[in-house]
Amino acid sequence: MKFNDAVLGAIFLALSIAVLVTIQGFPKIPGQSVGPSAFPGLIAVLLAGCSIALIWRGWRERASQPLVAIGAWLSSPPHVRNFLVVVGGLVFYVLAADTLGFLPCGAIILCALFLTLRVRPLLAVALALIVPVVIHLIFYKLLRVPLPWGVLPVMW
Amino acid sequence: MRTLLAALLVAAATTAQAQYPNRPVQLIVPWGAGGGTDATARIIGALMEKELKQPFNVVNRTGGSGVVGHDAIARAPADGYTLGLITVEITMMHHVGLTPLTYKDYTPIGLMNADPSGISVRADSPYKSVKDLLAAVKANPGKFKASGTGQGGIWHLAIAGLLKDQGIDPGALPWVPSQGAAPGLQDLVSGGVEVVPCSIPEARAMIDAGKVRALAIMDDNPPALYPNLPTLKKELGTNWKIAAWRVIAAPKGLPADVQKTLAIALKKVYDSKDYKEFMAKQGYGTVWAGPEDTAKFMAASDANLGGALKAVGLAK
Amino acid sequence: MLHAYAQAFALVFDPYVLTVILCSALFGLFVGCIPGLTATMATALLVPITFFMPPVPAVAAIVTATAMAIFSGDIPGALLRIPGTPASAAYTDEAYAMTKKGQAEVALGAGLVFSAIGGLFGTAVMMTSAPALAEIALKFSDYEYFWMVVLGLAGAVFIGNASVLKASMSLLLGLLVACIGLDNPAGYPRFDLGITELKGGVSLIPMMVGMFAVSEILRFVVHMDPPLKLATEKIGNVFKGMWGLLVKYPWPLVRGSALGTVIGIQPGSGADMAAWMSYAMAKKFSKEPEKFGTGHVEGIVEAGAANNSALAGAWIPALVFGIPGDSITAIAIGVLYLKGLNPGPTLFINNPQNIYAIFLVFVLANIIMLPLGWLTIKAAKNVLRLPRNILMPAILLFCIVGSFAINNTVFGVLLTLVFGLLAFVLEENGFPVAPAILGVVLGQMMEENFIKSMIKSDGDVTAFVTRPIAGFLAVSTFIILFWPIGAWLWRRYFSRRNMPVAE
Repeated sequence: MKFNDAVLGAIFLALSIAVLVTIQGFPKIPGQSVGPSAFPGLIAVLLAGCSIALIWRGWRERASQPLVAIGAWLSSPPHVRNFLVVVGGLVFYVLAADTLGFLPCGAIILCALFLTLRVRPLLAVALALIVPVVIHLIFYKLLRVPLPWGVLPVMW
Repeated sequence: MRTLLAALLVAAATTAQAQYPNRPVQLIVPWGAGGGTDATARIIGALMEKELKQPFNVVNRTGGSGVVGHDAIARAPADGYTLGLITVEITMMHHVGLTPLTYKDYTPIGLMNADPSGISVRADSPYKSVKDLLAAVKANPGKFKASGTGQGGIWHLAIAGLLKDQGIDPGALPWVPSQGAAPGLQDLVSGGVEVVPCSIPEARAMIDAGKVRALAIMDDNPPALYPNLPTLKKELGTNWKIAAWRVIAAPKGLPADVQKTLAIALKKVYDSKDYKEFMAKQGYGTVWAGPEDTAKFMAASDANLGGALKAVGLAK
Repeated sequence: MLHAYAQAFALVFDPYVLTVILCSALFGLFVGCIPGLTATMATALLVPITFFMPPVPAVAAIVTATAMAIFSGDIPGALLRIPGTPASAAYTDEAYAMTKKGQAEVALGAGLVFSAIGGLFGTAVMMTSAPALAEIALKFSDYEYFWMVVLGLAGAVFIGNASVLKASMSLLLGLLVACIGLDNPAGYPRFDLGITELKGGVSLIPMMVGMFAVSEILRFVVHMDPPLKLATEKIGNVFKGMWGLLVKYPWPLVRGSALGTVIGIQPGSGADMAAWMSYAMAKKFSKEPEKFGTGHVEGIVEAGAANNSALAGAWIPALVFGIPGDSITAIAIGVLYLKGLNPGPTLFINNPQNIYAIFLVFVLANIIMLPLGWLTIKAAKNVLRLPRNILMPAILLFCIVGSFAINNTVFGVLLTLVFGLLAFVLEENGFPVAPAILGVVLGQMMEENFIKSMIKSDGDVTAFVTRPIAGFLAVSTFIILFWPIGAWLWRRYFSRRNMPVAE
């Protein structure tokens, strides 16, 4: 997905204005001549300057550069689906990991991703069951990372 | 599939009713791996593991000057399977408005350690006593700088509270924030700052190397490491004292029987030779208090530090 | 010093450390060989594991894996015309043309042998110059460090092949991210959006995993190109004729190694930049420039040496000043801090054995590159046939665990997702992501040193330039910052008058 530079510049400009508004509420720190607002304020001003330059550049090229150019993959449903499965998989993990546990979540995400990437179904299911167990063993047993067990009882 | 799931749930439910603890316990540390609090938690965890025959996994939840980790401990289920090593910061942060959490959001199990603040200067500094130093600070407001932790950190409050106690404006000794005692001492040695209030074990290497001189300790008694170090009471006749401390605690609402089991085990850990030897090797002070006394201790610390934060002008 | 080297030997030649080196070497060779998996990604994936190791093996793993990955990126370049890592991109067409001519073994052999020599050259420079630089750095105070950071940031923007404007914006974005949280000199929670986890700031590791690994996975799954096809199945003895090349091209080798080291030292530019510049240089100085692009080995000799020497060069400012030379050392610095080995001149005084151990690991890594690289080339056919639709999902799961492991919270996974998406969109629109990482690493240092200096000097700004070293650094910074602007205005002024100007 390609945006015209003017659009991106506008987004960055909005971000820098938001920062400048937020830092108005920052307090002065007794004993420090420069408070917590100075540094982000300076960066935001520089970023705003760059954003305006980018908007100007995009505006000059508006004839050759459309505001939003939809990339080839965005008009191809299978590729959009791939993209959404990766993003959805991560969101699913964030929401469900603590209740479901690492192993079920991992298996579900892998299975979904293997299938959308057209791995043979039998192989996909087999790998989706094995790979999370291997990763779990490495991190949980060897490195003692407390990956959540969730619905499963503690097995090792 | 459904029957399997049901079977698992039943299994999980029945095991939960058995004698505590019957599965691994998490011990959350709000500070980074490799630091003093982390090392203390790891030795306590290892010894608790021996006492209670279940793994005690130390988990570091760092960031935000301890806010993140303290929050994680308070919000964990109060079933005894998540404990934490809470530190003095819990009686400071709510005064500044960083978090609504206070020491009352935890079930105390035991006080394990306290390190009082010292006051150190460079070895070639002309000031040989706290009295001289404070007189010089009072006479030249703003000339000297102090460092040793972040803005509003425990050692910052230690010195600011002392100045207030002595009727000197805390602004007379500006604070240079640092990432901890070590960079602060480094800065002291290289001449960037003149005073570093930090605990004696933190300054020990520099004191022994003859680069730094400790002037006093903010405690009732001199430290075991340096029995000749004067207390503030002896030097200035004040009762001002302040210490960084570490308490093993659980989330609020821990069942009383679990609290009792843990407190008994923790007392044994505290009395063990391994713990005493480890703490002595690190130079950390050991102090014990059971659940009730720990709660009182934390309340006193809270009031003390709240006053110091007001003195520096940081309290909300 | 001899004593410290003896200690360093004991640290490195320990069965555990040697096993770590071997495993990470194989891992690096594998990752570098697979198109779409970069050396930076290798590092980002390794860090969650090194997190749990003692300092020396942790750093050894990163050093070895990246050196191997940079070399092994040449393999798919020669066989598929797809660079395995960006550092091989400069001479991919050349190597592929050689393969087409039936000289795959010469292209790969030159890549292997001269990578190792370049790496050793960079290491030698590091071993001799870093301790000397540390002596100078000892005299630095907050003022000098402030300028060093600014110098590093300026370098990140102006040396690179992306638009300067977009690189600056990426850097500023990184600096803003560094502002998030409580860990600033004021101890005031900034931009936490009311989220407790954000009070701790954005952790570097989940962010890196997102920007370098998840974004790469996203790019893979929306990739529209037809499947890869090997140009040749037959690879002869890669070491044959290498001595001849060494005798024939001593100057390109030295030039490439030296230029690579210098570019590596310069903050913000890494192995890929070194390869591009030295390839261009090889062509300029060659006796037969017309042969370049048709399957001529000279450019591969020079650029292959350059990208590996840049890797060692980048460690010099990282170890001496704690200022990363490229995105790989940016991660490595994070690891050093976590291990309590805070980079900086005091590290050379307090723990010289650790520094020397890092040097030894570099030497060792570049030596074992020869046999292991040879094996990888032998196995390349099979590695390249590994189905990436199985590999990528497995890597995604690894990313999840890695970003969780640093703080043991799913918030890390969320950060990884957000920064993965951000990097994906930014790169599609021509914004480089490496400056953003440098911004995050250096932002806190810059603010802290600035504020500490201001407190110590009682708000007197002139203190930043009155100390001699600080003044010198300040002038250098302004030259780097304003040189391109000045040059641009100069050109513009002349082109208005329609006068020809040499570029």
